[in-house]
Amino acid sequence: AKLDPSSASDKKVILMPCKNSPSRERVQLWLEARKQYESLQKGL
Amino acid sequence: MTTLTRQDLNFGQVVADILCEFLEVAIHLILYVREVYPSGIFQKRKKYNVPVQMSCHPELNQYIQDTLHCVKPLIEKNDAEKVAVVIMDKEHHPVERFVFEISQPPLLSISSDTLLSHVEQLLRAFILKISVCDAVLNNNPPDSTLRQQWSFSKCIHPIGQAWCSFTVLVHTRDAATRNMEKVQVIKDFPWIVADEQEVHMQEPRLIPLKTMTSDIVKMQLYVEERAQKT
Repeated sequence: AKLDPSSASDKKVILMPCKNSPSRERVQLWLEARKQYESLQKGL
Repeated sequence: MTTLTRQDLNFGQVVADILCEFLEVAIHLILYVREVYPSGIFQKRKKYNVPVQMSCHPELNQYIQDTLHCVKPLIEKNDAEKVAVVIMDKEHHPVERFVFEISQPPLLSISSDTLLSHVEQLLRAFILKISVCDAVLNNNPPDSTLRQQWSFSKCIHPIGQAWCSFTVLVHTRDAATRNMEKVQVIKDFPWIVADEQEVHMQEPRLIPLKTMTSDIVKMQLYVEERAQKT
């Protein structure tokens, strides 16, 4: 049977992930920590 | 040259693999060029024989991979009409949308040359266009001069600062979402129908970036930019 284009199952939808992407602040903290770790490694 | 239908081999899978690999590179590059994340997390790599910037932040990389893992079954079945990388302000309203409009022909004429060389060349042109797109776009909030000041002062971020974030939107059909369900469960990465506030953009300015036509896929990339970003 052909789908009726107007049927609910053929309706166009726009989807997005439920989870948020990592925040810039969180990424910035990670970057600062990594820089500190790398400078400590160099100092050893 | 052989003519194949979508049912032959797992042709849809091949196209989905190629497109998802490309979209991964494109998303990393958009996030770098549009300064959604600090430039320090990006490293120079070579993809499609051109230099690109790829994030080395594990959580962000995983997020992008999980997103594309869920999008892949839709592309495989030719059910993803558009994939949009959306940059949003602090209120989660879109300020910029990089829209990849995808269409796949029902009949396919492919050869190894077509797949490897020609498509790669076409995708390279998209990457190059994304690399220079900041020249035609306005700055996203907060203003880039303020960003530089904070960067020099090594300030992590001012309290209450309004940095942008991003998400990925997929335009599909309701019936097609079944193709995603299994992957969503496996990856523990659920998807929801986007709210009006995440989709609607006030007075968008449309900037066409690149169009490609190949035997296996047609793709158009344009940017929708909000007139007032701040």
